[in-house]
Amino acid sequence: MSEDLLIDVQQVTLRFGGVVSLRDVSLAMRRGEILAVIGPNGAGKTSLFNSITGVYQPQEGSITFASSKAPPLSVIGKKTHRIAQAGVSRTFQASRLFSALTVFENVKIGAEDHRGIGVAGALVKGPRTRRGEHTSDKVAASMLRFVGLLDESNTVASQLSYGARRRLEIARALATDPEVILLDEPAAGTNPSEKLELTTLIRRVRDERDVSVLLIEHDMKLVMALAERIYVLNFGSMIAEGTPEEIRANPAVIDAYLGSSTEETSA
Amino acid sequence: MNLLSRSSLKRLLAALLLAGVVTLMTGAPGGYGVPAYTGLHGSFLERVSYFGLFRTQRWFLFLTLGIIAWLVSTYYQRHSLTIRRRLEPVMAIPTQVMQRRTNRWVLIGLVVIVTIFIPKLVHQQFWMYLIVEQIGVWILLALGLNVVVGFAGLLDLGFAAFYAIGAYATAWFTGVLPTPAPFNHPIPTLWCIPIGVGLAMVFGIILGIPTLRLRGDYLAIVTLGFALIIDDFVGTQSGLTGGGEGSLTVPKFAVHVGPVHYTWGISPTPYYYLCFLFVVIFLIAFTALEYSRVGRAWVAIREDEVAAESIGINPLKYKVMAFAVGAASGGFGGVLTAGLIGNINPTLFQYQVSVNVLILVIFGGMGSIWGVAIGAIIVQFVTSYLDNYQPWGYQLNDLYMYIGALLIIMMIFRPAGILPSRRRQREIQSFEVDHEGHLDEVLTGDEP
Amino acid sequence: MGFAHFWLSGFDQIRTGFWAYFAVGLENGSLYAMIAVGYTLVYGVLGLINFAHGEVFMCGGFAAVFLTHGILGDRVANGWESVFLILAGIAIAGSVSALVATGVEQVAYRPLRRRNAPKLAYLISAIGASYFLQTLAGKEFGYGQNIFPAQVFPAGQTMFFIGKTPIHTIQVVCLVVGTAMFVAADRIVRSTRLGRGIRAVAQDSETSALMGVNIDRTITLTFIIGGSLAGAAGFLYALQNGIVQSSGTELGIYAFTAAVLGGIGNLRGAALGGLLIGLFGSFSVPFAFEGNISWTEIYTFIILVLVLIVRPTGILGEKSGRTA
Repeated sequence: MSEDLLIDVQQVTLRFGGVVSLRDVSLAMRRGEILAVIGPNGAGKTSLFNSITGVYQPQEGSITFASSKAPPLSVIGKKTHRIAQAGVSRTFQASRLFSALTVFENVKIGAEDHRGIGVAGALVKGPRTRRGEHTSDKVAASMLRFVGLLDESNTVASQLSYGARRRLEIARALATDPEVILLDEPAAGTNPSEKLELTTLIRRVRDERDVSVLLIEHDMKLVMALAERIYVLNFGSMIAEGTPEEIRANPAVIDAYLGSSTEETSA
Repeated sequence: MNLLSRSSLKRLLAALLLAGVVTLMTGAPGGYGVPAYTGLHGSFLERVSYFGLFRTQRWFLFLTLGIIAWLVSTYYQRHSLTIRRRLEPVMAIPTQVMQRRTNRWVLIGLVVIVTIFIPKLVHQQFWMYLIVEQIGVWILLALGLNVVVGFAGLLDLGFAAFYAIGAYATAWFTGVLPTPAPFNHPIPTLWCIPIGVGLAMVFGIILGIPTLRLRGDYLAIVTLGFALIIDDFVGTQSGLTGGGEGSLTVPKFAVHVGPVHYTWGISPTPYYYLCFLFVVIFLIAFTALEYSRVGRAWVAIREDEVAAESIGINPLKYKVMAFAVGAASGGFGGVLTAGLIGNINPTLFQYQVSVNVLILVIFGGMGSIWGVAIGAIIVQFVTSYLDNYQPWGYQLNDLYMYIGALLIIMMIFRPAGILPSRRRQREIQSFEVDHEGHLDEVLTGDEP
Repeated sequence: MGFAHFWLSGFDQIRTGFWAYFAVGLENGSLYAMIAVGYTLVYGVLGLINFAHGEVFMCGGFAAVFLTHGILGDRVANGWESVFLILAGIAIAGSVSALVATGVEQVAYRPLRRRNAPKLAYLISAIGASYFLQTLAGKEFGYGQNIFPAQVFPAGQTMFFIGKTPIHTIQVVCLVVGTAMFVAADRIVRSTRLGRGIRAVAQDSETSALMGVNIDRTITLTFIIGGSLAGAAGFLYALQNGIVQSSGTELGIYAFTAAVLGGIGNLRGAALGGLLIGLFGSFSVPFAFEGNISWTEIYTFIILVLVLIVRPTGILGEKSGRTA
């Protein structure tokens, strides 16, 4: 195991009843890289994300998250919020913002420390609570500036355009101060110019925020432009791994994609 | 306007059924030693005079009303867009008025002034007692339940149990139950506030932790079961709780701090101001809570638990917190009731009381603190009026029938309440828009 | 009385009266199972607890009162007349309850389904329906007044003996009717087209809609099946215990516990859970402490909470791979 490993997925198998969603999947992510997982629909990409974030509990294998601030965390069996607090943040395929809250509140809630009790603090508003509020306000503002949504602070989240919602979700995920961010099809449903913006944004997340990026994406142009390494999933199994050039030339990958090309075009 | 179309005939059927139900609801009660069908019989066949103009059997009147309702609804259906467009601004007035900051403060100022002078305006002791016992305390109960239902989105049907725990803890610790006070040392009623609140909270947490891990509807049924048991317990364990008679002698509130000595006596006015003080404290505290990090976390959880977890929020912790705050408020209401009324008995804490508190929250607007307070005043005023004057054949026991009907009506027509919370309204709208069209359009071929 | 002595005497009572407790347990268990079917089926298709289901059961009980008094007056039936009355009672009480159940669905659920209201709205509206029906029944038939149907067969009639324990006709009728109706419901859900619709909607309502399943009709039929079983249970329950407006809530919680114990959403689990809760309730009777409080209620409640803590998916429920 090399020194700079950040997420280490070892031979993970995930079943639902009789259906095998992930079969013997391994993945090694290094600190500071932009890594993509691709594959046809239903290949198990989101299941992999859900396993890493503790939403699903795989039956076999291990997943380790090596934080730089804390001892390595064995993810399987941990609750989602624990994993998030440890530094793994994510976005969702269909954006899941809090539609009743404003843009600013959506990000602020990510920046807040959810570890204490808080009721007493909210009622008394002592100096600690106030300091906490102040810090999370600052973090939220800086994240919104980072994704370019500061002007929309007081808009209600549900009124944003599609591309803006995706950026807001990234801002919310970044506000939790993660070491790695998992992006689930960040470009789904966006138009070409928004896609371009997103590409730049994701690269800036890594370069300026120093957050490693693991992404699932269908849009090959975006993946090839961004990812330094690519893993390919098909029917729950990892069939290839390599640089974009290697993947493009890999016959197994071409096979998997040609076999499901009809699905791809409709997706 | 085609009165014979399929949808119109459907509506006619609905109107007639509704007429039948209303005939039953408003009719004479049956039972108590008479043949079982007297209720039905009386409701339909009783002859009544209408304003001295004509006499007819009851069913005939409601049949007529049903047909009129059908005609009106057919007309409305035809012109619904126009009517809705005209009504919309009217319906939105309360929200708009409250959204203006200056309006809000003017209104709050007016309300405060009026409330301060109410004891001067209301001369009858009876109404003052009613305002304190039926409205003042119930605003507090409703505000507490609002934290659970409105903020955290959890359905708690055991509020009556926590209310009872607070009241009976007071009676126990002041030494007026058949069981001696703990350590045989009765304490003043005012000191029971932390005890009653704490005890209710502990029960809430014990009940909440196993249940809140699961889907929301389990909480509802478990709390309902808990309320049933507590109801049963206080009513039947006469050796411990005084049984059906409860206790008549809970001491009044009294303050003895340094030079200050004050006892709340017979007159309702001092209680009124005590209640008023607590309502103000609750309003301020819960508003602070709503816009704190805890309040935001509650919104996040009730909207999307998975997304909330993904940013590090522990849903169980926040749900238990909301539930505990609700239970504590229930306990607080219990202590207050015991100290105000001085006599407590199981009828005050029947499990149905939970639904009575629930309707205050729903009617005013889940999650809207001002809405809940105002809703509580309106609903409690109306129900107290009904209970005391029993107009139009209304019976004491009918209350929960009307509450049940009102709950359904609110859910169908105005789920966010009369004064919706801004957050809640956005949420309901966006939820319904998000999900619109992907299921129901497929399902319902015959919708207009 | 010492604590140990209390428990010992409880066990002693069970040892001497085992068959009597067992018979009562099966009788109640059959009723709980019949009600639990409704909870579990509706949970399957709508994904929520139908809070008004206890009241649906209660309506069946009141139907029994009217029907039997209407036919018999104050007479006691016997012979073939009893058989006829039982069959007629099940049919009519079942129909009344099925009607009430669909009414509840139409009024309290369908409008919310049309606009895809959040789940909390369904729960609140169901609670409203429950209280409405309960209080209306109280108003019409006497609030808190337990009324009895006419005697379809002589009360306390014994059918046969096991050892020295008399087994009552009502106990046999409950078990037989319960089994027959459960088997019928099970067959319908498992092997008819309608049943396939129910299972399809339970699995994935959107996809089944696209596949041509009429969801509205499927849901209505689900309420009809659940309602008729509950109505029949209400009829049988009333014969033995009489009926009062609060019976619905009380039995509803037992039956719900049964459905959860068996694994909510699982039809056979509902039957199993019903029998287990019935037996458990019956055998817990000797362990009632002093006071006229319903200890069975408390014990059953404890069971419910324990099941939710230890195995919320129930005995026959599948353990799902997801935590959310």
